[in-house]
Amino acid sequence: MEISWLQAIILGLFACLASMPGLGGSSIGNYTLGRPLIGGLVCGIVLGDITTGILVGCAMQVVYIALVTPGGTVSADVRAVSYIGIPLAMVALKSYGLDAASSEGAALATSFGTMVGTLGTVLFYGTATINLVWQHMGWKAVEKRQYKKLYLVDMGLPWISHFICSFIPTMIMCKLGANVVELIKTALPMDGIAMKTLFTVGALLPCVGIAILLKQIVKSAADFVPFLFGFVLAAAMGINLVSATVVAGMFAIITYKIKMLSVRKPELAGAMDDEEEEI
Amino acid sequence: MEKKLSKKALLKSFHNWYYGHLTCFSQEHMQTFGYLCSMLPLVEELYENEDDKAKAMDTYTAFFNTEPQLGTVIVGMTAGLEEARANGADDVDNETINSLRAGLMGPVAGIGDSLVVGTVIPILLGIAMGMSTGGSPLGAVFYIIVWNLFAYFGMKFLYFKGYRLGGKAVDFLIGAQGEALRDSVSTLGGIVIGAVAATWVSVKTSLQLLNDAGEPYLILQNKLDDVFPGLLTAVFIVLCWFLMAKKKMSPIKVMLILVAVAFVGVLVGFFNPGLAY
Repeated sequence: MEISWLQAIILGLFACLASMPGLGGSSIGNYTLGRPLIGGLVCGIVLGDITTGILVGCAMQVVYIALVTPGGTVSADVRAVSYIGIPLAMVALKSYGLDAASSEGAALATSFGTMVGTLGTVLFYGTATINLVWQHMGWKAVEKRQYKKLYLVDMGLPWISHFICSFIPTMIMCKLGANVVELIKTALPMDGIAMKTLFTVGALLPCVGIAILLKQIVKSAADFVPFLFGFVLAAAMGINLVSATVVAGMFAIITYKIKMLSVRKPELAGAMDDEEEEI
Repeated sequence: MEKKLSKKALLKSFHNWYYGHLTCFSQEHMQTFGYLCSMLPLVEELYENEDDKAKAMDTYTAFFNTEPQLGTVIVGMTAGLEEARANGADDVDNETINSLRAGLMGPVAGIGDSLVVGTVIPILLGIAMGMSTGGSPLGAVFYIIVWNLFAYFGMKFLYFKGYRLGGKAVDFLIGAQGEALRDSVSTLGGIVIGAVAATWVSVKTSLQLLNDAGEPYLILQNKLDDVFPGLLTAVFIVLCWFLMAKKKMSPIKVMLILVAVAFVGVLVGFFNPGLAY
């Protein structure tokens, strides 16, 4: 499977839109186009094999289902996962002769995605660093009261950062895709230690994403109980995600009501005191 | 005459935030420029005088970063406060606006991350992936439509809610009621994240001990699952949490540790993804 220049250019443009401080805006960019499932659809359409694209996207999406970027700490770069990882994995599957729907196919896709995604964090920090230049110009504009320039700084100039850190790397990696995959294939045989490690890392990395989320809500050991409760719902009782959310919602309501009781209690007590005085 | 922001200016401000909150991101200023672009249409409409405009814009040069979807409510609130200030409200100045922004961005980020990124998105993606089993584009299309409608109209609702409530929304967000809300949201988030982890993350060991006849008499994975289904997955997640929350390691460092763990695990036969041509 060859990727043409035109296809590589289109994927490069999507990489600009989809990345974390991306030019699609975070709702359409990062949280829509950047999700590997959607990236799979886009890459599938561009490369002319939607089924494989979606299957590869699904496999990678599992790894990054809970990808959070709290305070701008990025553990994987979505533009690299979705628009470098997916096309390369599609090429690799064809080249290895693996079926994308098989578990080996999914594992290969996952390991490609995670490898590229982790290396891709360089692109994230690169983009953010180049943006500092535009922001410097922005502060100058604020000082001179040329506020209209802020639009250019916020929405126009970052295209240059993305041209350097999203468009060019994506285009080149995709264009060279077949060669890169060939290289990986000869250097890393499937049953060798390196490839096994890569696959295992692919299975372990989602733990980091989940842990980042937990960091926000778990402050003490007792806070782990809701998490483990949800874990048990799905792992031991086989309840699916939507149903588990309903159960979770129930507990959230109970928590809220109990908390509100302790808020209202002093008020009520206060009101009763007043009444007594009146008597 | 009482100044009133036009619907057009408010919408422009909202759209600037909706699109531009992170487009010019840097580690140093994060969403500050998005905020400035969002306030600009309002400031231009409220003030005639260049000095007044500059005074207002200077307020928003202070650092800002929060969870952008839920954080829209803060932008809406400052729109309301700016309008009040333009009408000569005594109790609204740079300091009140900025202490409000600084005081809210932390709590809102906490709720937003566990609600939007930790709950809504994984659930939508989970449903979408179910629909896309076998390579159908249906699930992806479902996610694109549902998430974007939810994000756009949800953020719009929050913006205008914040605008109408102005400073009054603070009590709701960080008062006793807000705290109760945060607690219940983290309970919800915690449970859902647990279910997400058990459904979508799977760490398995291939370690087994063989007897003389070459048959396995101990398959560690089965033993572990007898103790607690998915034990190994849970252990790894708690370990990552421990390293980041208690040992203050960066996610990148933790990932490198996992690479080392995977390598050693493969060498000793603890992990084996079972690959073959």
